[in-house]
Amino acid sequence: MSSRKQVKGEYIETDTGNKVSRKANLIGTQHIMLGGKTVIMADAMVRGDLTRTVSAQGSSGGAAPQSNTSIFIGRYCFLSRGCCLRPPGRIYKGAFTYMPLRIGDHVFVGENSVVQAATIGSHVHIAANAVVGEFAIVKDYVRILEGTVVPANMVIPSFSVVAGQPGRVIGEVPEGGHEQFEMRDLYKTVGNNIPPPAPAAAAA
Amino acid sequence: MASFTPYTVPAPTTCPAKRANLTARPPPTSQGLPEDDEDHAFDPRSPRSNYSLYPLEYLLYCVDCHQIRCPRCVSEELVTIYCPSCLFEVGSSSVKTEGNRCTRSCFQCPVCVGPLAVQSLESAPEASLLSADNAASSGPTGPWALTCSYCTWSSSEVGVKFDKPQGIFAQLSKIRNGSNTGPDVSLTAGDTSPTKREANLAEPESTRARFSALRAFYQSQLASSSTGSSMAGGMGDYGFSSPAALTRIMSIYSGSSSKPKNKATVMREADIPNEGFRPINLDESQAILKLRAGGYDETVTMAQAASQTEEGAHFADDLWPVASLLRTKRAKRCPACRHILSKPEAKVSNTRWRIRLVAGNHIPSVTIKPLPTPGVPPPNVLAPLKPIQYLLTFKNPMFDSIKVTLATPAKTPGRFASKVTVLCPQFTVGANSDDYDLNEVLKAEDRDQRDRRRDDDGSHQVEAGKVFERGRNWVSIVVEVIPATLQIQPTPSLLQKADEPDADPAPLREDEDILEIPMFVRLEWESEPSQDQVGVAPSGREKDAKEKRELAYWSVLGIGRISQD
Repeated sequence: MSSRKQVKGEYIETDTGNKVSRKANLIGTQHIMLGGKTVIMADAMVRGDLTRTVSAQGSSGGAAPQSNTSIFIGRYCFLSRGCCLRPPGRIYKGAFTYMPLRIGDHVFVGENSVVQAATIGSHVHIAANAVVGEFAIVKDYVRILEGTVVPANMVIPSFSVVAGQPGRVIGEVPEGGHEQFEMRDLYKTVGNNIPPPAPAAAAA
Repeated sequence: MASFTPYTVPAPTTCPAKRANLTARPPPTSQGLPEDDEDHAFDPRSPRSNYSLYPLEYLLYCVDCHQIRCPRCVSEELVTIYCPSCLFEVGSSSVKTEGNRCTRSCFQCPVCVGPLAVQSLESAPEASLLSADNAASSGPTGPWALTCSYCTWSSSEVGVKFDKPQGIFAQLSKIRNGSNTGPDVSLTAGDTSPTKREANLAEPESTRARFSALRAFYQSQLASSSTGSSMAGGMGDYGFSSPAALTRIMSIYSGSSSKPKNKATVMREADIPNEGFRPINLDESQAILKLRAGGYDETVTMAQAASQTEEGAHFADDLWPVASLLRTKRAKRCPACRHILSKPEAKVSNTRWRIRLVAGNHIPSVTIKPLPTPGVPPPNVLAPLKPIQYLLTFKNPMFDSIKVTLATPAKTPGRFASKVTVLCPQFTVGANSDDYDLNEVLKAEDRDQRDRRRDDDGSHQVEAGKVFERGRNWVSIVVEVIPATLQIQPTPSLLQKADEPDADPAPLREDEDILEIPMFVRLEWESEPSQDQVGVAPSGREKDAKEKRELAYWSVLGIGRISQD
């Protein structure tokens, strides 16, 4: 994140088209994988430091230099202000460990939402103030409405509309609603007017 | 008071679009509107409107009938049945035998509806953490229970524990129906032999077991009575499923003399527990004691009781884990021509669609936003009796240019009649060009921008009969609205006209302050006659020449709430 052009604009734009706000809290950037064309807004928090602890190693990111990516994010994702992506953790073979969080393409995460899922599919819309619990599996074309609390370990099948506390499937995404998950247009609305030379590599 | 959220956004293109795109269901048979409907405008407030208004994305379009199809008028057929929790596909035959619930280990919490996970009751993870041989230990053992991660309910609370973490459904039904799995299993097996039933003398516990016991008992009774009486059309053929039931009924109505005069054996009712008989427990003192001790918290809510698979849950310890209901993937057909409108891929994991004829590709999308006036932010609520202008944007998804004709009633229906004027009710929207060439699109977008800028130079005037703004495949027009006042003043009797009814002085009803405009949209365009269309089209105009098409429907524009002061 060390950029010499601090004054250039709010966003760091990478070669692969990621637009990351300088005010975003990315922790453990070497464990975060962005697929490209992803927007990370200010105050969004991505906890890449919570990596999987292989055998008895410490969970701090620096101790494990091998490729244990904790957060995978696909293309055309949008992380709004104040949202938090956090890998889920559990006791596995007698020891506590974090597991990677995988996010597909065209995923929108609303403001102040917390995502601790195991997997989020593609074309998923998570509205503001929602919580996706640990090890939840969200399939493709799912709309999670505002303020929903998806319980831990819940599986949400494709084409579901989820709401409530605890979250439950309240409806189906209609056939004509698939295009609304498309994030390309939203991607174009964010960024600096003059794209600065990409300072960072693909990893954040 | 309902929240104002749909209308507080500064550019309500997304939110009221939900309302703006509400499209009236066209009658399924005729092109356009039936005769009797032409006289009166569509009333969005009428209770029936709820059933005919759908957002644009819910509508399908039959390319054969050239009609919009709504979720109410399509016919659906099952493609795949699957469990929403484990995403396993379930065959339709096993749904018939085993019911519409997942028979693996997918359960929902009976208290909240969160998913239940199998957890060891002997959980001593700390101990295994500390011990050196944690690698050797094969994980937690001992009795297992279903626990909810959301509300921490555990099936051990109702005394349900499992020996092994797999096959929970079978274990649960075993626990529920007692150790003798006979009644429950034989129910699914279809015919039950009463001799087997005689073996278990214990009272059948569950409703299901009792039902199958009762059924078995009466079947044996009927069998013995029918063998006893040699009469044709005796009571022995009383089974609903038996084909003899028909002949029995026929013999009754034909009035033939072959009536059973003397029955050989009289049927008796079930009267012992293992025949399924259970006297109702009128002694409620136990329940009252329990209620006194546990209080309200010990009882179940209506929703919880309704979610149970068996009836009669009154207290919290009657709640059992609920196996998750199966879900389906469905194909949709046009009700008129039986053509498939949408068909998903059969596999559960596949999210593609083989056929998906959505109305959004055939009718223009309509978005509405307040006309931007420099310096004045758009109001959150509409001031009564103050004219306000809205920009209505029609975007054409088709590759032919369309002629749009709009009509609205001059006054909105309902108690509070707002005045509506569409400044340009007739216009043409350009075709949506093929998006194959990206450069073309970019150029076109550039052109759009330039067009807009040129318009911004000063030709942007709200003028009757003129399009406000125009792009490659979209047109914006202005609608002027004078919101009604929500105050109801009784008209002075001097001014009151004889034919005018008295104003209803009732207080404001729910959402009556929302200003909704019914709008009739008529589209005309010319398109190439499609190949499979020849001969089917009723117009009979299929030649090399372009085919004239027409589509008309009602839609409703939600403008906003009218201020109440």
